[in-house]
Amino acid sequence: MTEQAQLLPGTLDLLILKAASLGPLHGYGILLRIEQITRGALLAEQGALYPALSRLEHQGLLTSEWGTSDNNRRAKFYRLTTSGRRRLREETQSWNRLVTAIGAALGAKPQEG
Amino acid sequence: MFAQLRSLWKALWNRSQMESELADEMCFHLESRAQDLLRSGLSREDAYRRARIEFGSTVSYREKVRETHRVTWLEDFAQDLRYGWRVLRKNPGFGVVAVLTMALGIGANTAIFSVVYAVVLKPLPYADSEQLFNVFEARPQEGVTGAGWSYVNFAELRQQNHAFSEMAGNQSHQLTLTGRGEPSVVNASVVTPELLSLFGEKPLGGRVFFSEDGKPGAAPVAVLSENLWRNSFGADPNIIGSSINLDKRSFTVIGIMPAAFRFPQLTESEQVWIPLVQDPLFGGWLDRRGGHWLSVTGRLKPGVSMAQAQAELDAVSARLAKEFPAENDGWAIRMVPLQQMIVGKVKSPLLLLLGAVGLVLLIACANIANLLLTRATSRAREIAVRTTLGAGRTRIVRQLLSEATVLGLFGGVTGIVLAYWSVHGLSSLLPSNFPRTNAIRVDNVVLGFALLLSVGASVAFGLAPALFAAKANLQTNLRAGGVRSGESGGYRRARSFLAAGEIALAMVLLVAAGLLLRSFANLVSVSPGFNAQHIVKADISLPQFQYSKAQQWSAFSDELLARIQAQPGMQDSAVAVPRPIVDGFINLAFDIVGSPAASSSASRTVNYVSVSPEYFRVMGIPQLSGRSFDRRDVMSSPHVTLVSKTMARLYFPNQDPLGKQLTVAFPFDNGAPREIVGIVDDVRDVALGQAPGPMMYVPYEQAPFWGANLVVKSSLSPSSVATTIRQEVRKMDKDLPVTDVAMMPEIIEAAVAQPRFGASLLGLFAGLALVLAGTGIFGVISYSVSQRTREIGIRMALGAQRENVLKQVLREGTELAAIGLTLGLAGSLGVTRLLASLLFGVNPGDPLTFGVVAVILAMVTLAASYIPARRATRVDPIVALRYE
Repeated sequence: MTEQAQLLPGTLDLLILKAASLGPLHGYGILLRIEQITRGALLAEQGALYPALSRLEHQGLLTSEWGTSDNNRRAKFYRLTTSGRRRLREETQSWNRLVTAIGAALGAKPQEG
Repeated sequence: MFAQLRSLWKALWNRSQMESELADEMCFHLESRAQDLLRSGLSREDAYRRARIEFGSTVSYREKVRETHRVTWLEDFAQDLRYGWRVLRKNPGFGVVAVLTMALGIGANTAIFSVVYAVVLKPLPYADSEQLFNVFEARPQEGVTGAGWSYVNFAELRQQNHAFSEMAGNQSHQLTLTGRGEPSVVNASVVTPELLSLFGEKPLGGRVFFSEDGKPGAAPVAVLSENLWRNSFGADPNIIGSSINLDKRSFTVIGIMPAAFRFPQLTESEQVWIPLVQDPLFGGWLDRRGGHWLSVTGRLKPGVSMAQAQAELDAVSARLAKEFPAENDGWAIRMVPLQQMIVGKVKSPLLLLLGAVGLVLLIACANIANLLLTRATSRAREIAVRTTLGAGRTRIVRQLLSEATVLGLFGGVTGIVLAYWSVHGLSSLLPSNFPRTNAIRVDNVVLGFALLLSVGASVAFGLAPALFAAKANLQTNLRAGGVRSGESGGYRRARSFLAAGEIALAMVLLVAAGLLLRSFANLVSVSPGFNAQHIVKADISLPQFQYSKAQQWSAFSDELLARIQAQPGMQDSAVAVPRPIVDGFINLAFDIVGSPAASSSASRTVNYVSVSPEYFRVMGIPQLSGRSFDRRDVMSSPHVTLVSKTMARLYFPNQDPLGKQLTVAFPFDNGAPREIVGIVDDVRDVALGQAPGPMMYVPYEQAPFWGANLVVKSSLSPSSVATTIRQEVRKMDKDLPVTDVAMMPEIIEAAVAQPRFGASLLGLFAGLALVLAGTGIFGVISYSVSQRTREIGIRMALGAQRENVLKQVLREGTELAAIGLTLGLAGSLGVTRLLASLLFGVNPGDPLTFGVVAVILAMVTLAASYIPARRATRVDPIVALRYE
């Protein structure tokens, strides 16, 4: 078993938006896509995906409709809305800023006096 | 927002569907996961177990999904409302002032709207009332409009047109009801048999008229209104089929109409309907083609447009004019929605009042907005803290707007309570002839209007302060503590703008009220041309079946006058039909003997009055030349007439009318030429506000009516005059009721009830506006002074004189007044033009009204600035500086 990182709190929404931005997906598909794009980062429990999906849909960032999956079963597909796309862009930028800042902070060396 | 609404909708209404969808979704997830695990080599059992473990508890996740549906914005709103309530409670003075201001605005608007809604907007209380039209005849060239029909013309119209599914005619007058206790007079609608069925109203009992009831020779039948049945017949359950006496003739009651059904008078609750053919008065006119007396209502077929119907009416009128040119040439047929016909006259005064209260509300909103702006300045620090803690700008705006809504709703609810109280008073203030007053109440529509208005007003007065507050500079406000520093130029400008706007709006209202008051004053001071003082009027109507001949009518009034004049103090009595202002008028076409007949497009008309010789003395109408009537002017002597000054000027320019002869076409006049024997002064007979038109008087003996319309001038009390008249009438015929006894001055007063109502309400609103604007200016200047306490202190410490400080503050007020008055002047000039049709004897641009209003407003502004200015001069420099 490879070493797997737990997701940082608050990052799930961002990852869902990212996953959905690549094309309409059902819940399980989003899970797989997240695993794929994070190279295996894990949710503590896969069920936690669903409250997050519901919340994002409620905020108008995602929209959903019922369709047919690859294995010919009825499934609910999620798609990014325009405001979801905008949110993804904003969150990505601020995430990048945070990462840079934290990285710089952690990389700083004590000043030599 | 839309997505949230949609999901709220789903959450509320499609709960079970959502639940099952969620279950499906999770099931699909588990299934797919298990399939994938199976493919990676797990046993079936293990794959499913593993999928379930990885997923976690479906129950608890389902609960978590449900939680996300709890609607956050609604909760935020509730929280904001609670917070707003707490803020209000912390500052009760501000709250009370704002809520009361708002309550006045909303209350006045709600009360007026309840009248407008009930009278103008609400559909008439008939089935599919939008299909009902009044169809009338008109002579467009002469400006004659709204004339009635002759029965023959109506019968042809009803037969020939295809646009209306049914048409019916009606006329109204009074009949004497005898045989049950005291003789009384009832309002009778004489109708063609289709009238009651036209409205689609079912009778309470019995039946409505069949078309057989309208044929000549049919048995006389009558339909009673529920209230007449209850009040005059004690709700007799066996009334249907029994007979009643109307004008001494027996009618069989066939039906009772429910109290809710009223036609033609919407204010009349007691009446009887009888077929036209049975009417003692109009029943005899059925075969005459001339005359315009039948009012016609039609129900338009569904899908037929007004234009189509009008085209048909035009065809009918062309055919009538071709076949019977003598009676119909020059006449056109027009139609107007029944609703418009009934409320047309009161619509524009009511809308004017609604506009006026709207302005009052705007001023109230400006006042509250100013208060909020002031408070927002002092709350700048709180808002800065919230912003730092992460509240977004929209969240702040939303919070402040919610607080405004709390204010608005409190004000609205208080206002609705005010409206509930005042609607009663308002309906009783309304002139008695105002249509549909019985429908005025605060009902759901009015409540909805009030609530919408409250919320709208909250946004109106809350938005600007909220936007300002949310934009405020964080750093300055946090550092400075907000109270004395952060008064930005924007705030001050906004407040000054609002205050100047209040002055402008108040000016518009004051000017409108001033004009209406002047117009009303003109109206009541206009001389009607007769002296109404100490004149009592009374009506005696003679039953047609008993008194059927003209000789009987004149004999009756002769004897009655002789009897009344024999009573002490009552020798000044006369009969006249119609009496000015009281009875309306009879407008007739006439010809001058020996001069070419008038062409139909320019026919001459005159208002015709039949009077006993004493009339001119009793009414104080001066004789200008020739002689008056006397006892020798009887039926057998030469026919004579007196004309009014205007009649002489209009139709006999540059010649002496005395000796000229006139003929009039009128069923009650025998048509013989009448010689003009004198000229009398003009009388305003139609309305006080209408200039006197041409009039002719004829001796009552030569043109009697079926009754005695009395005028008695007496220094005795009106009640003893009435008693005497009743006694004398009873001695002559015990079954004759004396009705409508009234004092002439009171009738004239009632005639101006509507302008008085409009002027006094508008005056009230203008006063309200003045007070609100005054307090608004006071608030702005006071606040600006308190903001500058320190500055003033420094200036005084540096040697500024008190007068200078006073002047400086007053200048601020004067500037406000100047801007406000300029705007107000422009607004008033625009608005008063709309008033022109309601004004009498005063120009919409009346300089006096404008001048007085401007002076009043300037003085109020100065007074409102003077108090804070005085306070500014008392600033103690040391205290002010220590304030730092």
